[in-house]
Amino acid sequence: MRVLASPLCRVLLRLLPHCGPVGVSPAKGSILKPCKQMLRQNFSDKAEQVTTTELVSYWRDVFEANGIPEAQESSEYIVSHVLGAKTFQTLKPSSLFTPLTKEQQQQIQQLCAKRLQRMPVQYVLGEWDFQDLTLKMKPPVFIPRPETEFLLLPWVSEQRDQRLRDASLYPVILEVGCGSGAVALSLLSKLPHSQVIALDKAEAAVNLTRENAESVHPEMNQEFGGSWEQLVPWGPVDIIISNPPYVFHEDMTHLEAEILRYEDLDALDGGDDGMRVIKEILMLASYLLKDEGSVFLEVDPRHPEMVKNWLQSHPDLLLSFSATHKDFCAWGAVYPHHTGPPDPPSASGVPDVFLIDSAAYVVSLTEPPAHPARA
Amino acid sequence: FLPPGVRHLAICLLSSREHLYRCLDSQPYTLEGTLLLFPLYHRCTAQLWQDSLKMKLQLNFMVCRKENFRFKGCTILVLQIALLLIPSEDVDHNDIIMEVTAGVGGQEAMLFTEEMFDMYQQYAAYKNWRFDVLEYAPCDIGGLRHASAVVVGLKAYRHMKFEGGVHRVQRVPKTEKQGRIHTSTMTVAILPQPTEINLKINPKDLWIETKRASGAGGQHVNKTESAVRIVHIPTGVVSECQQDRSQIRNRATAMQVLRAKLYSIMLEEETSKRCIARKVQIGTKGRSEKIRTYNFPQNRVTDHRISRSVHHIERFLLGEELLDEMIQSLKEYADYESLMEIISENDQPNVT
Repeated sequence: MRVLASPLCRVLLRLLPHCGPVGVSPAKGSILKPCKQMLRQNFSDKAEQVTTTELVSYWRDVFEANGIPEAQESSEYIVSHVLGAKTFQTLKPSSLFTPLTKEQQQQIQQLCAKRLQRMPVQYVLGEWDFQDLTLKMKPPVFIPRPETEFLLLPWVSEQRDQRLRDASLYPVILEVGCGSGAVALSLLSKLPHSQVIALDKAEAAVNLTRENAESVHPEMNQEFGGSWEQLVPWGPVDIIISNPPYVFHEDMTHLEAEILRYEDLDALDGGDDGMRVIKEILMLASYLLKDEGSVFLEVDPRHPEMVKNWLQSHPDLLLSFSATHKDFCAWGAVYPHHTGPPDPPSASGVPDVFLIDSAAYVVSLTEPPAHPARA
Repeated sequence: FLPPGVRHLAICLLSSREHLYRCLDSQPYTLEGTLLLFPLYHRCTAQLWQDSLKMKLQLNFMVCRKENFRFKGCTILVLQIALLLIPSEDVDHNDIIMEVTAGVGGQEAMLFTEEMFDMYQQYAAYKNWRFDVLEYAPCDIGGLRHASAVVVGLKAYRHMKFEGGVHRVQRVPKTEKQGRIHTSTMTVAILPQPTEINLKINPKDLWIETKRASGAGGQHVNKTESAVRIVHIPTGVVSECQQDRSQIRNRATAMQVLRAKLYSIMLEEETSKRCIARKVQIGTKGRSEKIRTYNFPQNRVTDHRISRSVHHIERFLLGEELLDEMIQSLKEYADYESLMEIISENDQPNVT
């Protein structure tokens, strides 16, 4: 595995969960106290039989009383996790009404205490699913969002297109901002012949990606490197893919406590117009991308227009805006009249030379060339 | 598959007497001809209660009886020949989605639903099929409201298709204090899973809902609710899934279930076009019919379509041999009905 260390890199590690939330108001603290009393009371009185469903209801009520969002879901996920299932729906029917052991109850209590601190469920459980993979999650590394699961689709199905197949049998993919490694590892699973370079500013993200890579693809070759120059031997890349920070700076304060207190805000803040990192990536693309290469970005719904305009005013980049997808027809579905969210990725392509100037850690993940194809 | 001569003979055997004589006259009294005659007679009389047919066959039997042939060993061969006449549905080899729903009877119905779901789960294991629970909605006080599962295996649909319909239980419920017998029901629906070619859905006809649908999404929120709900707008068919933590996987599962539901409606429309009414109905027509009664006090399971009773109800509910035998009987009866359809199509006045 290639890790690039550079004195210029800024590693950002915000709140460690056991330190407790930074900047918590005294009012929050006092809300927690009665809850703790409630807990102590309940568990000393009820030394005996509590069933799964009863415990889920109990913790849901506790979460609701403390203003924790997704009270029902959080309770279900935590209890199921302790019982060895991923979701409440997949719990064996018999275990729904059988009483839980003391150890299980205590485990649940410990996890719920973290949730009471507004820690996201994914960090509480230490893991989460992304497409077909189960990945470790550790604060403050950015938690992959469900929308990003769809980011890969158009390109993966494009891979079956004649054009790309001819162009590159072993596509080289660069992911900017790999976070936990969700996108990179998913791509590698779906396209075992590809070479994936995963890049992130934060050391914690790189480490987590490496950890996940080792558990998901233990046989994989991983190389470490120390500088941007080491990207050179990889040559121009076929694809640049990214879920860059795209939140408008003014919106940052409106984010919920789960995000503000625990996630790396650098993974979210995109500057005044949310375009800061997007622009950097597009500039990078003009150097790094092969002819006929593409860039896939997950962006805010306001961005496609802005990106189009920006590219038009920077013709020197030789990139052209190609498409916005509101949803992916790979599943044969679109959202009619959808005002809601997110994530239209835009694709463009061209390329040229390449040159690198900002610092980063780089993790590169490749399949050993001798490996037979995996479906 | 069947050589035309033998096929013709087989059809004749179940036709009218005139045709049979004509066949026997035109074809020398071959071993094949005789082989076909007796076992089919045995088979038919054992299973069918249609007197007119029985009489036809008895007459035919008497013709050959004096020859004193013994045909026990040939029964299987002949049966296979007869079965070759029967068209199998394309869909017989497909995997299925099975849905169980508690019907009339309150908690007792839900307890019965739970037992039935267990029985089918065991049956899938007995047949070496994969049984993946898609949805399981239990009741707080015990019992199962509804549940669904994907059953993957060799000829899953072919076996399970007869289980679709209303199952009725008669027993003294656990909650009953006065020892009265109650009747409750539950419904089983069997939906074959279509292949890509079988069914095409227009993406514009779908409305997909996820919890994140309202307001800003993406990086701005971190929600763990991954439930997906798909509505097929033209038909109003709905499919939901929250089995997985991954939204894309839930969406895939919901699509799979939706496709199966739409396909079963499509098949419905096709089978309802057939004029001949069948006893062993498959599909939603059968969905509202009581197909089987499980009577605990009398320790008996009765299938109303073929009027067959099996004793040892507890053993039946294990989902092993007894259930398999019942399904076999149903399959044979359905095959017989198919044969009869073919024969009546062939039963033209000017056959030479």
